[in-house]
Amino acid sequence: MRLSTIMTEMVARVILLPTLVTALALLVKGYTSAGDGFSAGVVAGTVVAIQFIVFGPREPIARFPSPRHAPLLAFGGVLLALAVAFAPLLWGDPVLTQYPRPGEPVVHIGALAFHTALLFDVAVFLLVFGFIISVLGGIGSFERHSQGGES
Amino acid sequence: MLLLPLAITWFAALALAPLDGRRRAVGAAAVAALAAAYLALVWLAVRVLTDGPVEMIAGGWGPGIGIRLRADALGITFALLSLAVLVAALAFEVLGGVHERSLPELVLFMATGLTGLFLTADIFNFYVFFEVAMISSFILASYGKEVRHLRAALTFTVVNLLGSVVFLSGVTGLYHVTGTLDMDGVAQRIDEAPDGSVLLIAVLIFVAFGLKLGLFPFHSWVAPVYRDAWPAVAAMLSAALANIGSYGLLRFGAGLMPQELGLTATGVILLGSLSILYGGLQAVSARSASEVIAWSSIGQVGYILVALGIGGPIGLSAAILFTMVNALNKLVLFLAIGLRGWLVGATFALAAFSVAGVPPSAGFFGKVAVFRAGEASGHAALLALIVVGGALSLLYMFQVYQREYWARPTKAPPSPLAPRLLVFALAIGIVAIGVWPEPLLALSGRAAAVLSGGG
Repeated sequence: MRLSTIMTEMVARVILLPTLVTALALLVKGYTSAGDGFSAGVVAGTVVAIQFIVFGPREPIARFPSPRHAPLLAFGGVLLALAVAFAPLLWGDPVLTQYPRPGEPVVHIGALAFHTALLFDVAVFLLVFGFIISVLGGIGSFERHSQGGES
Repeated sequence: MLLLPLAITWFAALALAPLDGRRRAVGAAAVAALAAAYLALVWLAVRVLTDGPVEMIAGGWGPGIGIRLRADALGITFALLSLAVLVAALAFEVLGGVHERSLPELVLFMATGLTGLFLTADIFNFYVFFEVAMISSFILASYGKEVRHLRAALTFTVVNLLGSVVFLSGVTGLYHVTGTLDMDGVAQRIDEAPDGSVLLIAVLIFVAFGLKLGLFPFHSWVAPVYRDAWPAVAAMLSAALANIGSYGLLRFGAGLMPQELGLTATGVILLGSLSILYGGLQAVSARSASEVIAWSSIGQVGYILVALGIGGPIGLSAAILFTMVNALNKLVLFLAIGLRGWLVGATFALAAFSVAGVPPSAGFFGKVAVFRAGEASGHAALLALIVVGGALSLLYMFQVYQREYWARPTKAPPSPLAPRLLVFALAIGIVAIGVWPEPLLALSGRAAAVLSGGG
């Protein structure tokens, strides 16, 4: 059963890559110019969710790397976030300390600034994105099981 | 290192998450991690008790800007208690055989949430760790996968999510009237806030923690959940997770809003008294052992509330001491009713004596502390109430003992020896505390001193 039309399918195909690029931009430069992993994850997750809604669970699973690996993404995200948060304790700084410290020089590539807060945002992105995809994959596999008899 | 216990449980929970918790090695690793976190906590406690509170501001931000983590005597006391319960309950379950793959890491996540919320000085951070502990407890409550376990989990989840919403509204309200989430900042600025709104917030927070604790008007979830949940899970919920309720009442009531607590003291004492009587009477008429213990726990938290309402150093330290003793009693009782065979009856009897407050058991000193607080308040009716409550608990506990261990011939095969020995050792521990109560008395005194401003 497919509810979508040729129009929605075309739009869904067209917006996929630009939205992922937007998510990447959000990730490295968020609303107060540091990265924003959470909204990047939500944006990227939404566009993949649109693929699932428009094409049904089968086609996205065939086109993308299998959603079965998505829990690993989320898991890796949590581990990375915790590691970034707790690592400063090892050399005696408070948790969540950011390096380089305010006022110290930061490595730039173009407009992109490298500091450890970015790493934390990447971790949050992985967690949010991985979680959304895992849930979608779970729902998709449930639907495939329940429709197993036909087609 | 303030965060060592937190880091150990958190990383261990994640490391064990992909592994099958039914395997003995995974369970043993989880127990070892919890025990390591406990040792780290003991070390921290020694530092806190000798040198005063340990603080850290996340991210190295200035005071008033960053999120503050703080270990003081009150928080560390509750963390020590709750983690001890979790270590014992998890070891019990691992010795008896774990049925579901996710149990060990869920217990570790719960330990993370509990340690975090007892060691934070920021009300929103408190809420976050509160949710970490609650979410793992929602899943834990369904442990066992029979219909009744799922029913218990559903009731527990719905009621407690409601409680979380109420609590979050309270936190939002506090932020709205004081403009800060830092506990010290809230305590300083709360006097300037309009009285009416602070009273409303105080009531919201009281309701939230009352729900968590299972006090009289908010008790409806307690009996069905503790009756239907798996014994070790019921032990964790009632002896570790419920501590959030008493800690929250102490920290937010006596610590942040002492004026509002003073204003409503009579009502608080009244609710506590109703809890004691209602829980006690229902326990006398309840049938199954787990139901009696559940009703009994409603009655027992009434004492905590009465002591809190009386307030002052005596009342607060009585509330803390009683929380500790009550948690240990509940732990042993819930674990014991899941077992059959030799030693179990004796274990149950020891814990039952402690609930009734018969010397020499830890429960005796809990009751004495509340009794002294009642004496200090000068109300003869309160003293009578405490005596009546004690008599009721003696009655219902021995009704259960008769039904379960005397009258009913054991048809079920005896449980494995290792968990029986563990629970028996815990029961002996309760008696040992009763014989040598000074450390516990000193600890509760120090913890109460935090609230009355003695540091």
